Amino acid sequence: MLTVNQLEKRRQVAGVLIVLGLVIEALCLIWSTPIAFVIFVAIGGLFMFAGIVLFLYSLVFNLEARE
Amino acid sequence: MLHATTLILSLILFSAVVIGVLIARPAITATRGGKILAFVAMFCLPIFCGLLGVSREMGRSKSTAFCLSCHTMEDYGKSLYVDDPTHIPASHFQNHRVPPDEACYSCHTSYAMFGGLKVKLYGLKHVAVYYLGTPPAPENIKLYEPYNNRECLHCHLGAKSFEEGATHNADPATLPAIKSNQLSCISSGCHDVAHDLAHLKDAKFWKAGT
Repeated sequence: MLTVNQLEKRRQVAGVLIVLGLVIEALCLIWSTPIAFVIFVAIGGLFMFAGIVLFLYSLVFNLEARE
Repeated sequence: MLHATTLILSLILFSAVVIGVLIARPAITATRGGKILAFVAMFCLPIFCGLLGVSREMGRSKSTAFCLSCHTMEDYGKSLYVDDPTHIPASHFQNHRVPPDEACYSCHTSYAMFGGLKVKLYGLKHVAVYYLGTPPAPENIKLYEPYNNRECLHCHLGAKSFEEGATHNADPATLPAIKSNQLSCISSGCHDVAHDLAHLKDAKFWKAGT
């Protein structure tokens, strides 16, 4: 069973990944070149996707831990 | 457009700050309100920001400046300023027959179902070739497929100058042939001067705004 600390740790990692994705998105919006779009989708999108999935995963484990 | 970017950046900053608070103080999520905040900040807001960003980037990729930002496209950009009414891209750009800030996209998109998506994929291919491959010399760049009259007719169909033009009606078979894409608008002897890069160095240029 996961402890509260482990759950918090997962959410923190998810948060860091999402923030990194958001920072990449922000930089790509400012840096207006064709490669910026590719970086935004490929790297920023990947970070955000990973962060969101990890966050949702932590929610599911939280529910399982309660049961 | 600048305001749109500023708004998206503000939303990104706001999301990052809220997520930052949740990272620094994870105990907040112990309460019901904290859980809702975490869900909004770490699921809803990033997805919303991402969608807005993609939409903004898609809009930006239609701009003339975006297309001409690659060195390979410089001469094509110059050709828009050729002071010659028979030079089709230049006359369209200079007379605002296409939006000047979306000049390339207006003529080089495909006005068919998923045409916009198709040209965006071509664009990604161009980016890959530009950064990872060997870009061809500007004069060697060719269209993926013969230019379709559909793109011209998207604007010109029904226009008086097109429907009642003397050359278009000299032969009764001409107009139906153009409309059915049997006779290309850019056929030899018709509107055949597109981006004439070969003669660019001898061309006279329009000085916009002077």
